[in-house]
Amino acid sequence: MSIAKRVQQWATFARTWHIYDCTWQNPFESASLVKTHLMGLHKPIYHPMNDCGDHVVLINTKEIALPGDEWVKRVYFHHTGYPGGASWTLAWQLHEKDPTMVMKKAVYNSMAGNLQRRHTMQRLHLFHDDQVPQDILANVTNQIRTPRTVPQRLDHIDKETLENFPAIMDYPKDYVLR
Amino acid sequence: MSNSHLFLKSGFPRAPLQNGVGRYVCQLQRLTLKFCKNNGSSRGMRDFIENHLVDFAKENPGIVVYVKPRRHRAPVLVGEYLNGDREWLSVRNSTQTEISKWIDLLKTQNGSSSSLRLRKMWHTDVPSIQGPWTPFLLRSPDAHNQTYPTSEASQPLDVPQTATEKLIELFKQQQLEADTVLEQKRAE
Repeated sequence: MSIAKRVQQWATFARTWHIYDCTWQNPFESASLVKTHLMGLHKPIYHPMNDCGDHVVLINTKEIALPGDEWVKRVYFHHTGYPGGASWTLAWQLHEKDPTMVMKKAVYNSMAGNLQRRHTMQRLHLFHDDQVPQDILANVTNQIRTPRTVPQRLDHIDKETLENFPAIMDYPKDYVLR
Repeated sequence: MSNSHLFLKSGFPRAPLQNGVGRYVCQLQRLTLKFCKNNGSSRGMRDFIENHLVDFAKENPGIVVYVKPRRHRAPVLVGEYLNGDREWLSVRNSTQTEISKWIDLLKTQNGSSSSLRLRKMWHTDVPSIQGPWTPFLLRSPDAHNQTYPTSEASQPLDVPQTATEKLIELFKQQQLEADTVLEQKRAE
């Protein structure tokens, strides 16, 4: 193989690093996006026997938003293997113990259970906040677009914008504001 | 190919050492015919041995032919090749013409074809005119000096206008109109 061909090969099969901000995102909706990039399904060279998956860095997994009442209804099952070793953990309890776990399990469960799944998961890097080590952040060359907008909180808006915000009507003078 | 073929040897079709360019060396070295003398499933094989086997052996002096009778077993063809491959073929209930066709296949191939998965079902001397794809193809130029994560990419591409934004827009429009009315009055 000539040098030009060899470099072409490296370029085609280069692993890219993607970053994904999980703030206010549905983990199960995000999992299918992340899975696509982890397995390399978004590439035209994709083939099941072709090792072309990318790395994905997930940040702010602490800030995920589960839909509906899933925080109290979703249950994670674990069995130690010993008699009486079964345990059921609610999503909010699991999230309190490890804020990356709900997201990790969402991605893991979105993939088919075959021999490649655990190797594909090795390319997933989870961080509960936006503090990513510099050696990981230096590799990142793309950001995966999130499907949902992040709602703005009232206490995060600065005072000036709040005061200049147009009011639809004025409260009557004897109106008691609590 | 699927996961069930992960450990099957794979490759491209090729002729060993440019076989046939100068002279042809038959790659099939040994051929074993196993059959039963009584069983009905071996009838075609018995007919083949009776009518064609001696002629076949005379025509192909490079192939060693073994005939192995065994009681109450299905007939089998086993070919052994110069590259060490061994191909096992069941010819149960086959007629003598079918068997001579199978033997012709074993004779003309250069290894066991059933133990090789072909990587590609096609061949081309010009794989791609555009050149192979790379992850850096058609990327926007401003992605190069971008620092990640960016807040711009942390939202969907098309965010529809919210009712609040619409209200603010209406309010600003109203103010502008009021200003123009005031200016007109001043001019009068």
